[in-house]
Amino acid sequence: MNRTFYLSNSDFDQFLVVLSSGYQVYVPVQKDKQRFYKKFTPGEQVSVGEVRTFEPLKAFFTRAREVVAHNFDGNPPHSRQKPIAIIGAKACDLKGFKIQDYVFSGRNGKDTADPLYVSNRRNNLIISSDCTSCLETCFCMALGLMPYPQEAFDINLSPLEKGFLVESLSPKGQSIIEKNLRFFKEALEEHFNQRKSMRAKTAAQVMENLKVNDIPDQGHFEGIIEKNFESEIWKEEAKRCVECGCCTIICPTCHCFLLYDQKNETSMSRLRIWDSCMIKDYAQVAGGGNPRPKLWMRLRNRFEKKFDFFPKVAKVYACTGCGRCITGCPAKIDIRSVLRKLVNSHV
Amino acid sequence: MYKNLYRPIKAEVLDVITETPSIKTIRFRPQEPMSFKTGQFFEITVPGVGEAPFTPSSRPSIRDVFEVSVMRVGKLTRAVHELKPGDVIGVRGPMGNGYPLDSFRGKELLVMGGGCGFAPLRSLMYSLFDMSGQFKQLYFRGGCKNPSEFLYRREIESWGERKDLNMQLTVDKGDENWKGNVGLVLNILDSVKIDFKTGIVIVCGPPVMMKFGTKKLLEMGFQEENIYLSMEKNMSCGIGKCGHCRIGTYYACKDGPVFTYSKIKNFPEIWD
Repeated sequence: MNRTFYLSNSDFDQFLVVLSSGYQVYVPVQKDKQRFYKKFTPGEQVSVGEVRTFEPLKAFFTRAREVVAHNFDGNPPHSRQKPIAIIGAKACDLKGFKIQDYVFSGRNGKDTADPLYVSNRRNNLIISSDCTSCLETCFCMALGLMPYPQEAFDINLSPLEKGFLVESLSPKGQSIIEKNLRFFKEALEEHFNQRKSMRAKTAAQVMENLKVNDIPDQGHFEGIIEKNFESEIWKEEAKRCVECGCCTIICPTCHCFLLYDQKNETSMSRLRIWDSCMIKDYAQVAGGGNPRPKLWMRLRNRFEKKFDFFPKVAKVYACTGCGRCITGCPAKIDIRSVLRKLVNSHV
Repeated sequence: MYKNLYRPIKAEVLDVITETPSIKTIRFRPQEPMSFKTGQFFEITVPGVGEAPFTPSSRPSIRDVFEVSVMRVGKLTRAVHELKPGDVIGVRGPMGNGYPLDSFRGKELLVMGGGCGFAPLRSLMYSLFDMSGQFKQLYFRGGCKNPSEFLYRREIESWGERKDLNMQLTVDKGDENWKGNVGLVLNILDSVKIDFKTGIVIVCGPPVMMKFGTKKLLEMGFQEENIYLSMEKNMSCGIGKCGHCRIGTYYACKDGPVFTYSKIKNFPEIWD
């Protein structure tokens, strides 16, 4: 059983400085109304609590555009100088990693491992944190999550009035705390009480979101795609879609990519770039055959992948309830209301 | 250290053979040892242009030189058609499952296909010829649009002399020199005398032939689990990561490209 500690706000800043010697440390910062990740520099105003960042965290392990092969060289073209430490990942972000891991990690030899992903992911440090508020688009609790991490982190920080309650889950997290014990104080009962009431407050806000927006729980998701495969819902929803692909690019679970080759006078490179199943030529084969020529078929496919494919192969719905696709969609297509229609339809 | 699976292996183009007005065969020698099971595919890179999946048409027992036959349909295949002997290409693979040849032993076998589907089927037929005597019966039914688009025509016609093969060929539209059948492959299946309850059939051809061929085979009495289909999907990574070639709960690149009809029949969009 790992111990729980108290970390004051000022010791937290010092702790990040120490971490920076072994890691590239990325921290969430507030800019206007959004939060973004930024490389840590001492003195940075780090915003640990609050809500998820604007961008999906998958970008730390599979970049939007990265060179995966150079000429015919044997080794992957780049290796990081230092492993990365991600500070303030949310419960929804951690579920996103779980899906990305399923696809790319090789699953202990059950599948082919992606060499770049594995090397990016292997030595990293995940210091997650509780949400201390929620966005109007947050619905993680419909997807079996709580607005505070319960698994898949090394260390978790629960923001309190003047510091954090610190919990470690992995041997890596435990050993980092042990090496820096000067920062970590004994946790008192009042700290636990503060965490308890903070967590209850945020969870109540998310519950209110679910209630106000009438969002169905994942307990009702089984078979919703098969049941509604020929439904008019897809055509209605796709009417407004402008095929920008934002919903998939910004999604923490979407993993599709395209290999793309480039050359100059002396060399050639193979790039891996994020791709979107919403784009027309995504599944098109040479000669023009396309299994999903219509936009509504591609919208249906996006939901099929998340709510039919993943539960069947990995026993998990590939949605974290983060609401990024809702915020990002210029046509205001709302995954929550699509799910509600799918669950409530009588076909 | 993991192997970089996105890195192509360098290969030298040995020969470029013009087969038909739209199809060329590329013979190449990879610089590192490779081998494949018939039905598996390679990702072929034209440096700087891109990469696409092709099922080798050569005999799998030949392990240093491989052949792919490529129809010119787009940017990458146009670049393949411009290759000359001595050029450098890249190869990744082999990928996918291939045909379960061992499970065909002692069975009655029908191989049917057409058009560009002759490329993978040529490799399959040589594998089957290498196993000659291990099948109860072997039928081949092939077709294509017209005699000038008949891939490997002389070679395939020479199979007609084999004692271990019952072969019939057809073209959709003949010319003055064509003396054989005219019509669809589906119309030359009546002469296949095998027990449909236990017989194996392998289909590889254009999507329309796969779709209507499967329908006809089911009507004839072939069992769903004995119909082997080679599925064409957009495959980019070849290792089940990039998402493009998904068929239901499978990826064509790693769970296929060979599927029995029973495995995929309940999924939508399989023929398109």
